[in-house]
Amino acid sequence: MNDESQTDRRQFLQKSLLGTTGLGMAIVSTSEVVAKPVPGEVEAGVTQEVDVLVVGGGTAGTIAAIQAGRAGASTLLVERGAQLGGTTTTGGVAFPGLFDAWGKQIIAGIGWELVKECVELDGGVFPNFAKVPRRHWQNQIQVNLFLYAILAEEKCEQAGVAIAFHEFPETIRATPTGWQVDCLGFGTRRRVLCKQVIDCTGGAEVVGMMGHPRLREKETQPGSMLFHLGEANDPGRHQLHQLYVHGADSTNSRTVTKANMTGRKSILAKLRKEKKRLMHLQPETGFRESYRIVGETMITVNDYTSGRLFKDAVSNAFYPVDLHTKSGVKPKPLKPGTVPTIPLGALIPKGSRNVMVAGRCLSSDRLANSGLRVQASCMGMGQAAGVAASLAAQNGATPLAVPLDEISRVLAKHGAILPGKK
Amino acid sequence: MARPSSSGARRRVVSLLAAFTFLVMAVTGVLSFFRPFSISLVGLHALMGFCFIAFVAAHVVNNGRNLKGYFKSPVVWVVLMVSAGLSALFFFQPAPVKAILGLSQNLGPALDRFEVTADGMRYQYHPSPDYEIELTVQAGPAYDVANPPKIAIWLENQGGYHIKTLLGEVDEGEALPYWNFKRRGWEKARKEAEEQGEPDAVSSPTPNGSFDPADYILPAGPETSTPYKLLIEINAEADSHGVYPDQPSLVYAVEIDNVNPTVFQLPDLVGYPKREDEDGKEAWSLYFVDDSFGSAVDLIDSALLVIRRGGGLDTSE
Repeated sequence: MNDESQTDRRQFLQKSLLGTTGLGMAIVSTSEVVAKPVPGEVEAGVTQEVDVLVVGGGTAGTIAAIQAGRAGASTLLVERGAQLGGTTTTGGVAFPGLFDAWGKQIIAGIGWELVKECVELDGGVFPNFAKVPRRHWQNQIQVNLFLYAILAEEKCEQAGVAIAFHEFPETIRATPTGWQVDCLGFGTRRRVLCKQVIDCTGGAEVVGMMGHPRLREKETQPGSMLFHLGEANDPGRHQLHQLYVHGADSTNSRTVTKANMTGRKSILAKLRKEKKRLMHLQPETGFRESYRIVGETMITVNDYTSGRLFKDAVSNAFYPVDLHTKSGVKPKPLKPGTVPTIPLGALIPKGSRNVMVAGRCLSSDRLANSGLRVQASCMGMGQAAGVAASLAAQNGATPLAVPLDEISRVLAKHGAILPGKK
Repeated sequence: MARPSSSGARRRVVSLLAAFTFLVMAVTGVLSFFRPFSISLVGLHALMGFCFIAFVAAHVVNNGRNLKGYFKSPVVWVVLMVSAGLSALFFFQPAPVKAILGLSQNLGPALDRFEVTADGMRYQYHPSPDYEIELTVQAGPAYDVANPPKIAIWLENQGGYHIKTLLGEVDEGEALPYWNFKRRGWEKARKEAEEQGEPDAVSSPTPNGSFDPADYILPAGPETSTPYKLLIEINAEADSHGVYPDQPSLVYAVEIDNVNPTVFQLPDLVGYPKREDEDGKEAWSLYFVDDSFGSAVDLIDSALLVIRRGGGLDTSE
């Protein structure tokens, strides 16, 4: 059946429906597009050779992939869900921050470019970074989560990044030149041969599959299920309501299923109790904590709260120590002037080769992690990982062997703010 | 030996009562000057004062004829003028009188004491025998001792609402706009709450909804305690620098947490206030201090907040 006949049939069905019901309901949009055919779409097996494989298209992974692509590395981004953005989009925490500290911007680069473009295209507003926020979260930036997901996708494509939605690594094997990663999606088996892997899964799931040690607390912070009751949600203008999902764990499909179902049940109970309409519900819980890697460098809470400038610092971070517990959260603000930094060593699993992480699974103790896990900081480390992995792939080296000066130079070229620089 | 008449005995009893009540008043008055504030001491002094008035009245009745003679003497005018002069002196309190009062250990009903020294200033607030706040501000190079800067010290709850002014003159509001804005907002809200008969808003079990400073400073228990902030706004007059004909005031702040007590804390510079109109209403927000400021940031060299809990200096944390 050709495209034209498909369109005709849909139009016929739409008109028939309107005519039959007589309700005069408007079809919201009648414009249509046709997806281009996927080469080899009928074959279950695909083999792909790239420089850099980014696993996880969330807050950090999207930026890491765009950066690797822009730095000239052939890049594949594998995402288990249906869209990019992770916590910002699928989780609904559509207020990334913090890009500023003490009146100055401290994180920029690709993450900021994406957020800025999203706000401008949506007609949104930016907080005034010169103004002292009354609460620590006031300079988070409200973005339209739907638009953010589309723009992230567009920027990946423009950077030459191939995207594989609905897939996740099943097995990983080291090769003389890097890795052989077998991914599994529905109707797709993909074998990826890559030089470098950037694990942006949140819980360092790929690093775990590689056999590197990870850390995890006995009791982790709750996740948040975001929704809106009563009046309609206005994306990019107001934050959604949120409800804690205790025990939320992003480790695998079973734990994620359990967290999502628990969150949805609670919202249903709330809705019945408050007798309000459910106007918006995110498809997935926003997870705060699961595994962290044991890296070449571990960021301690003292490093974090003192604003230690690591010798191999590649990005800034900023947020209070913000540990959520069963009884809520009591953020501990940083002392004025303090800007924590993220060393390259915290993104590299100890003793590993050709693999990095970016995002909340970086090597840090629990309290430091509670501040490092936020979106702007994850974007900053995503960009740094993208640079280090692409340079490593191009030089045939492991990320730890890439000269720091070279990483800094490329980061600066792509708009990142380097730690310790005014 | 003749027995004294009943009227003579009455006179003697009244005179002795007046004399002894006066003695108690004098002793408690002197003690009140040198001792820290004590409701027992002040209560004794005040109530004995009422008794003294009654006994003196009886004394005047008993000895009216003799006392009349005093008022016929021309000396009475001198006495009246001296009394009026001393009253005016002690009421208006010029600098030398203030200096003498500054020697007092009694913080009075306001429970506080403020003194300007050659090194800066010191403020003490002592709302209970078990709780004392002492803020010492060390003068910076731009601090003029002869013409000290205007200063306000106040407390805010976690919501950023003013809960108590510890130090600040209302007529200095223009020089200290941020404190003045916060204070006026608090007064308005409190008045509205009282008019609407909302007792909970005046002394609320919900910490952040209370207008009673005691709910923050001296909470009934840890479960009702929430951190609060001490803020300082300071401004020197006509301190021009760069683009500023008169640099704005600066605001310093420190958080106090009674659940996780810290004895020594250093207030930090937060920002400078700037007027903004929000929906046509006056509002003041703080902005980060940048390189455009000069001497204003040198008014304070350092500030130290010491909180003594449970009597004495508790250094265990």
